Amino acid sequence: MTMVTLIFKEILHRKVNFLLSVLAVITAAALFVVFFTTGEASDRETKRIMRDMGFNLRIIPEKTDMYTFWSTGYSEFTMDKEYVDRFAKLKGFSYTHLVATLQKKTRWQGMDVILTGMLPEVLPLDKRLQKPMTFSVKKGNVYLGFQLAQNLGIKKGDQIDVLGKSLKVKECLSQSGNNDDIRIYGHLEDIQDILNLPGQINEIKALECLCLIESSKVENDMLTVASRELAQVLPNAKVVLIKSIAEVRQKQRAMMQAYLGLIIPFVVVVCGAWIAVLTMINTRKRRQEVGLMRALGYNAGRIGLLFLGKSVVIGLLGAVAGFIAGTALALYFGPDIFKVTAKALKPEYILLKWSLIVAPVFAAVSSFIPVTIAIGRDPADTLREQ
Amino acid sequence: MIRLKNLRKNYQTAAGVVKALDSIDLEIKKGEFIVLRGPSGSGKTTLLMALAGMQRPTSGSIYISKENIYQMTIPARAKFRAENIGFVFQMFHLVPYLNVIENVALARGALSSALDKPGAKELLRSFGMEHRIFHKPAQLSAGEKQRTAIARALFNHPQIILADEPTGNLDPENALAVLGYLTDFQSAGGTVIIATHQPVAKEMADRIISLNAGRIRDES
Repeated sequence: MTMVTLIFKEILHRKVNFLLSVLAVITAAALFVVFFTTGEASDRETKRIMRDMGFNLRIIPEKTDMYTFWSTGYSEFTMDKEYVDRFAKLKGFSYTHLVATLQKKTRWQGMDVILTGMLPEVLPLDKRLQKPMTFSVKKGNVYLGFQLAQNLGIKKGDQIDVLGKSLKVKECLSQSGNNDDIRIYGHLEDIQDILNLPGQINEIKALECLCLIESSKVENDMLTVASRELAQVLPNAKVVLIKSIAEVRQKQRAMMQAYLGLIIPFVVVVCGAWIAVLTMINTRKRRQEVGLMRALGYNAGRIGLLFLGKSVVIGLLGAVAGFIAGTALALYFGPDIFKVTAKALKPEYILLKWSLIVAPVFAAVSSFIPVTIAIGRDPADTLREQ
Repeated sequence: MIRLKNLRKNYQTAAGVVKALDSIDLEIKKGEFIVLRGPSGSGKTTLLMALAGMQRPTSGSIYISKENIYQMTIPARAKFRAENIGFVFQMFHLVPYLNVIENVALARGALSSALDKPGAKELLRSFGMEHRIFHKPAQLSAGEKQRTAIARALFNHPQIILADEPTGNLDPENALAVLGYLTDFQSAGGTVIIATHQPVAKEMADRIISLNAGRIRDES
């Protein structure tokens, strides 16, 4: 019988304490493994999201004067509605939402309004079940901006005349806080009729658009790539990149990383304290045993080895179980979270190696103080406590 | 030979200083059977703990085989204790997760990395415990527990056995058996120092030392 046998016999004798300690290590190890296993997929996914965000595109007529575009919010020129179909069929690009609009500022009932004609949102074939990002307006109906409805006292269900065309108010929109409050949203064909621009649009919004061409290029190149590719099929159009959303996402990503940076050390400290408390309970139960071993002539180092050896066993077992649990969790839930880069999720066996090194050290360090206190007690005092 | 010179042990308590041992001078020859007597709190246990090298005295010295044990380093004293002293407790102090043979062999662990189970088996046979060697302490009677504890104390072939009320939890029959084992150890040349209230121990003793309030009151 060796010291190792003694360690295992004690473990078998006090199973609950041992299992609770292992559970603490499993929790800490699994958290690390989940974090790092999903890390690669998360990183790729974030890059992809960033790139996709960079490809939130506004496709507008080529002749558009950008100064006027930014000041009015739309192009004064138009392009053929057929561009929407061309874009939708374009190989090498994927998107989640495609919205074609025709917008023009005009006077109506003594007020400046923005007439906005919309085609029902085009969704890719594989995403037809997803919810559209914007509402769609049926022919003969309009959605009225908040300010217009309030100033003119128009209510849902009213029949209104818009520059000679009678339309039914399907909805009065809630306040948006931007120029949407002075918009009249109608079906594209109705607005085309009103503005006498049949078959014309002046913008296509392509959201979460993904360029599958030259995907290795960094996101800064994407505008160039997208412009070049689109120029071949949409010759009279140009592309504007919406960057603000990407920047918001980047901030959100930084916030999430900072949040995880706080949570993980917190969990590790809690698990460490958990092990320390369990070790304290264990050493308290074993005070007589420690005193006896001192009486038998065991030196403090060898007694400490019994406790720290147990911690190492806890750490090793927790590392293996934590790796398995963490990997299983990452592989089971990861694909739901990282839909695009799910294939990057795979067992990271290097984490097992690191877990096997770090977890026993973690368990031993957590146990060190209670073990030192237990061994430091006078054996005579311990043995008197009968 | 064991020699105690002007041994004092004080405890600081809330009520003040308690003199557990007060100016103890004592010589014990090799092979003697010493019985310590005295009321509770008279200093018997403190004296045994000090003799075992487990309780440093406030002042004075203890020589065992000409070695001043409290001038040794702590690891050296632990080794000295493992090689020379066996201790028997009233409460047995058996390790609950080890069986009888492992509890006995545990004594060897202080001296080597492997515990000598075959040797322990032989010893337990001489104590009539061969049928219990794979039993855990919880499965033993009080008498069997104390026999196991004595076997453990003897396992490293010590020169000295220190026993603190070893019969305190035993019925008269088992108490007599335990004292018999200690007498056998003495007969084989060992020194026994035992704190006990067993009247029969008087008959086995070479000397009876009575303690009171930490001082030797009587020696016969």
